[in-house]
Amino acid sequence: MFTGYNTKKRVNERYKIIGFISSGTYGRVYKAESRNANPPSMKLFAIKKFKPDKEGELQYSGISQSAIREMALCTELAHPNVVHTVEIILEEKCIFIVFEYAEHDLLQIIHHHNTGGQGGRQAIPAKTIKSILWQLLQGLVYLHRNWVMHRDLKPANIMVTSSGKVKIGDLGLARLFYKPLQTLFSGDKVVVTIWYRAPELLLGSRHYTPAVDLWAVGCIFAELLSLRPIFKGEEAKMDGKKTVPFQRNQMQKIVEIMGMPSKERWPLLAAMPEYAQLSSLAAGNARFHRPQGLENWYQGCLKNNQYPPGSGPDTPGPEGFDLLQQLLEYDPQKRLTAEKALLHPYFTSHGKPGENCFEESKIKYPIRRVSQEDNDIRTGSLPGTKRSGLPDDSLIGRPAKRLKEG
Amino acid sequence: MASSYWESTQKKFWTFTKPQLALERKRLEDSERNLVNMYPVPDRRHLSIYFYHQLSKMARPLGVRQQALATAQVYVRRFYVKVEIRRTNPALVLATALYLACKMEECPQHIRMILAEARHCWDTAFNDISKIGECEFTLISEMNSQLIIHHPYRSLAELQSQFQLTQEENSLAWSIINDHYLTELPLLHAPHVIAITAMFLAVVLKPTQGGLQVHAAGVASALQALGNARGGAGQGTQNRVQKLVDWLAESTVDIEAVVECTQELISLYEIWDSYAEKTCKDQIAKFVKARGLDK
Repeated sequence: MFTGYNTKKRVNERYKIIGFISSGTYGRVYKAESRNANPPSMKLFAIKKFKPDKEGELQYSGISQSAIREMALCTELAHPNVVHTVEIILEEKCIFIVFEYAEHDLLQIIHHHNTGGQGGRQAIPAKTIKSILWQLLQGLVYLHRNWVMHRDLKPANIMVTSSGKVKIGDLGLARLFYKPLQTLFSGDKVVVTIWYRAPELLLGSRHYTPAVDLWAVGCIFAELLSLRPIFKGEEAKMDGKKTVPFQRNQMQKIVEIMGMPSKERWPLLAAMPEYAQLSSLAAGNARFHRPQGLENWYQGCLKNNQYPPGSGPDTPGPEGFDLLQQLLEYDPQKRLTAEKALLHPYFTSHGKPGENCFEESKIKYPIRRVSQEDNDIRTGSLPGTKRSGLPDDSLIGRPAKRLKEG
Repeated sequence: MASSYWESTQKKFWTFTKPQLALERKRLEDSERNLVNMYPVPDRRHLSIYFYHQLSKMARPLGVRQQALATAQVYVRRFYVKVEIRRTNPALVLATALYLACKMEECPQHIRMILAEARHCWDTAFNDISKIGECEFTLISEMNSQLIIHHPYRSLAELQSQFQLTQEENSLAWSIINDHYLTELPLLHAPHVIAITAMFLAVVLKPTQGGLQVHAAGVASALQALGNARGGAGQGTQNRVQKLVDWLAESTVDIEAVVECTQELISLYEIWDSYAEKTCKDQIAKFVKARGLDK
């Protein structure tokens, strides 16, 4: 080692890169094929290449904390509803995590229904939604039982295989929450892409809990139903100062539908650091006094997307509303846990959710697009992949780029 | 993971039986026969004490917490199961292990701070963060990215409330857990077995007598009490100890394992008296200098 780090495996010897999938602040993801598949059934992979701390870095400068977390968690976790990690390759200043390949993700599925492959907008079948949610919650129960908070659940991070298996992906922001040595707040100031961010985070809570993931599940559920983000706020940028701004617009979007949170329903509300901001929010905004109400939103959404009225297997029905309402509960202590959510009548009435979310669905989803412009995983670096935010674990959790993806 | 040690990579890949561990070590030494013959190194426990002192020296000014320090110690121990020590610069390995452990235990330190502290403590020749960065790759690679460590501290916290340990008993048990990182025990037993051993010793040894320093003789009397648990039930000992012995006898805890842990700790406390920092330092310096590993 003192004559240099000797890599034990080489990514190019083991995998053939088929194309480039996407890039983000963390690095780039490639689609790859095994050069000697073992087992042969496992042929396709997604390889995430972490970006060096500084672009074009020729020196080892220490691995970012979020990469360390992701490597450690990916190695440790194993569940059918969490993306499976095949191996991790460290090779000459680069880190590659090799995942099983998933043909789809929820963002892409929602997009397909929005634009409509054939003949315009088309709702996602109720059974598909139920199965997706069921599998997503199974994966989340597993994570939470193992003291892992995901902290960045959003449609783009939920993978779906061609056989309809849902897999939670991107543990880049996930971390253990058992007795952290520091408050969770002091580590990463901002977590969760803004549209899926729980109200306690928006109000500056220091000691948040896995309940933040359940709020995100509620938002994803709503988005699967309506095909649009339910709370589509605009992110307030940090103005160079080291303070996190209050996300006024995002909070407004939530209140416009849900109404103002109250101390009666959420006893610890007044203890939130940004509590004072809440009343200023209400001033001069008529919609605050007459919010749409989640029920009206839900009924409108079901009608718009032509789910049949009443209760039954082809509509999320009243059970769906009740579940959604309990996921989008203001008070994190009252919000459903992943475990309890799985026991909700939504999943038990009208048949058990399918193991394959595409079962009985005739919809053909397009396969993941890959581009050929960058097929060299060892050296590949395109314009636009330059690091734009701050280093990991400093003030910005995820720069705006991720927001657009979500 | 935290909740499921049984499913963890620690259980699956980093817990050995004594013969397995001996075999791993022998394989490593055999592959470097010449080096091993040329450069004697101290007893592994002395070496561990030395490493611990060095790590603490670095950790103190940085305000690193005990758990991160413990994680670093486990990383060093795992690493040297895979890599022959005479091929490495231990100072660099220690600094890197601490750097990595701090990130993993959510109390990160900047790589420059680690480097500065390492240089301050050891006057080491490595003066470049890239050395630590490179060593980090080696460390992670040798550990197969299995970086999550289950410590006995958490089990102790649970036991404390179950048995209503006094403040003194608890802190004695805590320091016995700290001591176990100086032995092979982290590679041999589950964290809850270590915690039970530590609690048992703490209760038997009565921290009031002579501060927190544990002595071999005291531990030996604990062994005797354990013998009673093995036999089913005992009598004649004080209430508190008796209660523990009964609980142990009835529980599914592997008493043999607790006995083994106790013995391992006894031999640590015995050998501690003959520890000499200078010998460790010199013997390490010898192979590091001769082989130019600090360059």
